[in-house]
Amino acid sequence: MNNLKKTAFYETHLKLGARMVNFAGWYMPVQYESIIKEHLAVRSYAGIFDISHMGEFILEGKDVIKFLQYVMINDLNLLEPSKGQYSCMCYENGAVVDDLVYYEETSEHFRMIVNASNIEKDYQWLISHIGELDIKITNLSLKRSRLAFQGPKADEYLQPLIDIDLSKLKRFYSTHCSIKDSPVFIARTGYTGERGFEISFKNEFADIIWNELLNTGAKPAGLGARDSLRLEACYALYGHEISDTITPIEAGFSWLVKPKKGIDYIGKDVLIKQKTEGTKRTLVGLNLIDRGIIREKYKIYKNNNQIGFVTSGGYSPTLKKTIGLALIETQYSQIGTKLKIKIRDKLLKGEIVSTPFYRNV
Amino acid sequence: MEYKFPNDLKYTLTHEWIRIEDSFAIVGITDFAQHQLGDIVFVELPEVGMAFERGSNAAELESVKAVGDLIMPLSGEIIDVNKNLTDKPELVNLSPFIDGWVLKIEYSHANEIDELLSAEKYKQFVQNEEK
Repeated sequence: MNNLKKTAFYETHLKLGARMVNFAGWYMPVQYESIIKEHLAVRSYAGIFDISHMGEFILEGKDVIKFLQYVMINDLNLLEPSKGQYSCMCYENGAVVDDLVYYEETSEHFRMIVNASNIEKDYQWLISHIGELDIKITNLSLKRSRLAFQGPKADEYLQPLIDIDLSKLKRFYSTHCSIKDSPVFIARTGYTGERGFEISFKNEFADIIWNELLNTGAKPAGLGARDSLRLEACYALYGHEISDTITPIEAGFSWLVKPKKGIDYIGKDVLIKQKTEGTKRTLVGLNLIDRGIIREKYKIYKNNNQIGFVTSGGYSPTLKKTIGLALIETQYSQIGTKLKIKIRDKLLKGEIVSTPFYRNV
Repeated sequence: MEYKFPNDLKYTLTHEWIRIEDSFAIVGITDFAQHQLGDIVFVELPEVGMAFERGSNAAELESVKAVGDLIMPLSGEIIDVNKNLTDKPELVNLSPFIDGWVLKIEYSHANEIDELLSAEKYKQFVQNEEK
């Protein structure tokens, strides 16, 4: 663990007694006291997550929108200044380079937040497609820190500390403002299925902003809770529900693949074909009928034939039962279908259910 | 991190504790092990009457984040399991040495007991693992 990178909150996590793990080359807190307590804190009031391991790029230049229209599958025409958008960058075969969010600060200045494990790959991928376009990409990942502040009380807790009216910041919109005189970029986005914010700022403000947020009564929450919360909300995790072998259509993101008439984009031919004709595999939600816990890579059977595998699974602290997501053959993907999941040497009964399991945004 | 290592128990390198009674032993996972696993949400118990060799998996403890094995510290037959763990797996976290016990074994090779670790030895082992 000696070569791992440390976020600006590393010492803070240790002081709070966090269990630190290697996540994508970073020392990150998986939990402080209890994943379940942290999870339920986010569902009932608010939690603070260090997400500084994620990547942050600035894209500037006259051709930014033209460029993003070519490398992203979502449609930039749906944006306006200060609005953000979830999207995927895909390969020509439709599989996913990364899923990410970008914010249009101005038509020539975008901020992009990408997965920690894909920072270098994404940067190289973006750079390799600039060609003759007028665009400059700056990787600010290590210069800035990022926190997520999530939960039903996130607005109430944050409002006294911030110099904007949060009720005017709509979902997926962003702005620049100050938390107790420290300049921040803030967006109403998140990965928990709750209301909340994601906040980015220079590393020098890390301690002051963490302490201000902690003093609101919000609970520090680790990557364990982040994962169980996003699973309940059915947000994709790169490498699980989407990856360099799973397309957005297979993962149920049909809405993300836009026609963008007259505009070519990477992966368009394959993805539009899949959107029209369907795919052999489909992502579904699972409930375990027997008792047990299902986890990623567990195999799924119907009539003694393997029909797919679990992409993410675990215990849902909110619903107090086992839930999961799985990629299975489309012919078996109807809600209510009974199937079996292999857990070690046993085949346990499961059922396809509608998703998300829980969202309160 | 401070963990509990009750002196009247025996231990294994795979983080089980063993309370030796006359002809049987009570087995659970240690305070250190439950801390490492985190919130335990499901315990898969063996059936009473099953016999296992020392070193085989006898139970699985599933936490939110990971799966932990309970390895048989002594060869023998399962004569009882803690059925309370079916509805309250968190007992393993709350009370690893008392209410969170997992199995009772009628051990078949009394000489295996001599190979279990004392609290002192196990504590040293854990402290080395923590470094």
